[in-house]
Amino acid sequence: MSAYPTGDPLARRRFLTAAALRGATVIGTGVIGATALGAVDADAAFAEPLRALDPAAADSTFVEGRITWIDGGLLEVAGSWGEYARVRVTGATSVWKVRATTAAAIETGDGLYARGVPMPDGTLAADAVWVNIVNLHTTLRGIEKDRLHLAHGSHEIVGHVLADTTSVSYSGAAPTVDLSRLRIGQDAQVLGAWRPSDDSVELVRVAVGPGAGHRR
Amino acid sequence: MSPATLAVDLAAPLLAGVLGTAGAGKLFGRSAPRPASRTALARLLRGGARAARALRWLGALELLLCAALLALPPSVSVAAGGAAAALGVGFLGYLGYARRAAPGSSCGCTAGDDGPVGVRAFVRAAAVLAGGVAVTLAEHPWWTTAPHRPAATAGAVLVAVAGAVVLAPDRWRLLWRRLRLRLTGHPLDGTRAVTRVPVTATVELLEHSLAWQTASALVRSALLDHWDDGGWRILQYAGVHGGGGAARPVVVLFALDAAASRDAVREPAVRVSVLDADTGEAVALTA
Repeated sequence: MSAYPTGDPLARRRFLTAAALRGATVIGTGVIGATALGAVDADAAFAEPLRALDPAAADSTFVEGRITWIDGGLLEVAGSWGEYARVRVTGATSVWKVRATTAAAIETGDGLYARGVPMPDGTLAADAVWVNIVNLHTTLRGIEKDRLHLAHGSHEIVGHVLADTTSVSYSGAAPTVDLSRLRIGQDAQVLGAWRPSDDSVELVRVAVGPGAGHRR
Repeated sequence: MSPATLAVDLAAPLLAGVLGTAGAGKLFGRSAPRPASRTALARLLRGGARAARALRWLGALELLLCAALLALPPSVSVAAGGAAAALGVGFLGYLGYARRAAPGSSCGCTAGDDGPVGVRAFVRAAAVLAGGVAVTLAEHPWWTTAPHRPAATAGAVLVAVAGAVVLAPDRWRLLWRRLRLRLTGHPLDGTRAVTRVPVTATVELLEHSLAWQTASALVRSALLDHWDDGGWRILQYAGVHGGGGAARPVVVLFALDAAASRDAVREPAVRVSVLDADTGEAVALTA
C-alpha cells in the first residue's frame, strides 16, 4: 500500500475514498453517538461532559474564551471568567467554523470552545475546536430569502441563511435543507457561528417544533 | 409651491398621525401599567406605578397636541408645533438618560415596545422634533394645501407610512412581515425542491448507527473533512488506536449512502476503515 499522501488535497481524498470503500461494512442502528470522550459533532460543544467510558482514555478538558493571540498552532485564550489557557492545534484537531475547516480559518478575536487533553507543559492539546459557536433559544420574527430575524430575549438577531450549510430539523425529524416550512412565531433552537464583525449569526442548524433542542 | 413648502405645510397632519397613535397607545393601552415598570422612566421616577401614571398623562398630552395640529390653522398651531418640538427634545434627553442610566431597559416611547432603547427610538424622537419645527414654519393650513396637490400629498403620506413602518417597534414590524409573507409567498420556497441531504443529516445518521458504536471509542476529533464520491459520502475523523505505549494516531473513515438520512433509512449500512495516520496502512478495527 502506498504511503498516506498529505500534500495534494485531491490526491489525499482519492486515497482515503479508496480506503473507506474497502472498509468493513456494519449494518444496523446503535445507540445515540458518544465516544469515550463524548459526542463529536457541533452539538457536543454544549453537551454535558461525559464520564470517560474507557479507563484507558485520558480525561478530556474543556476550554472556552476569546482568542487573544495566535502563534502558529498555539492559541492563547482569555476565558470568560478571567482564566487564561493555551490551546495547541495539530493536524489531527478538528476545526469547526460554520463548517469543518482548517486551523488557517481561526482569527484573533474569535470565540473558542476547545476539547482536548492537558499536556505537561500546561497547554491543552485540542482534539476538537469550535470557533464562534453559539447555541441560542430564539423566536422566529421574520423570514427573508437570505436571512432570518430572530428574537433572543429582548435582542433581535439577524441569522444568515447559508445556501450550502443551513439545515432545519422539524419536530425532531432528520435535518433537511428544505427551509420552506419555517413560520413566523415559531420557537427555534439555533446552532450557528457568531460573526464578530456585525454581531450577526451564520445559521448552521435550526430546530423547530416539539422536541427542538432536545436531541441529546 | 416648492416641495419644501409643501412638506412644511403637510407636517401638521403627519406629525398628528405619529403623536395620535403613540398617545392612544399610552392612554388606552390595556397592558400599559406592566411594561411601564420595565422602562427607564420607572427608574427616573422611582416607581412603576408613577411611571405608568406619567405615561398616561403623556399619552393624553400627545392626543391633545394631535387634535390641535389637525384642527388649528398655522397662525395658531405655531404653539402646538413648538410644544411638539419641545416634546421631541425631551424625548431625546430622556433616551440619552435611559441609555446611560439603565442600559437594556425599554424606553416606553410607544405602547407595547419592550425592547431596549435603540437607534430607532432616537430617530423617532428626532422625527418628532423635526416635525414640530416644520409645523412652526408652515404658512398655509394643510386642508387648503392638500386638495391642490393631491399627487404630492399622497406621495408624502406614503413616504410617512413607509418611515413609520421602518421606525416602528418590533411588534408592528412583525405584523408587516406576516402580511408580506402572505402577499409574496414564502421566500424560502425554492429550497423545497432541493433533495440534497445536508452533511449534518449524514452525521446524525452515522451517530445512530451500529458502525459508530463499534468505532467511536477510537474517535477523538469532530468531523475533520467530508466529501461525496460515486453516491458515497465519506466522513473523516482523527483518532487514537491502542493504549499506553502502543497508542498511535489513526484516520477513521466512514462511508455512507450520500442520499440517506435518519428519516429514510432505519438500518444504515456504513463502511468503516481505520488507517494509520503516518503510513496510511489499514489498522484492524478492534484493538
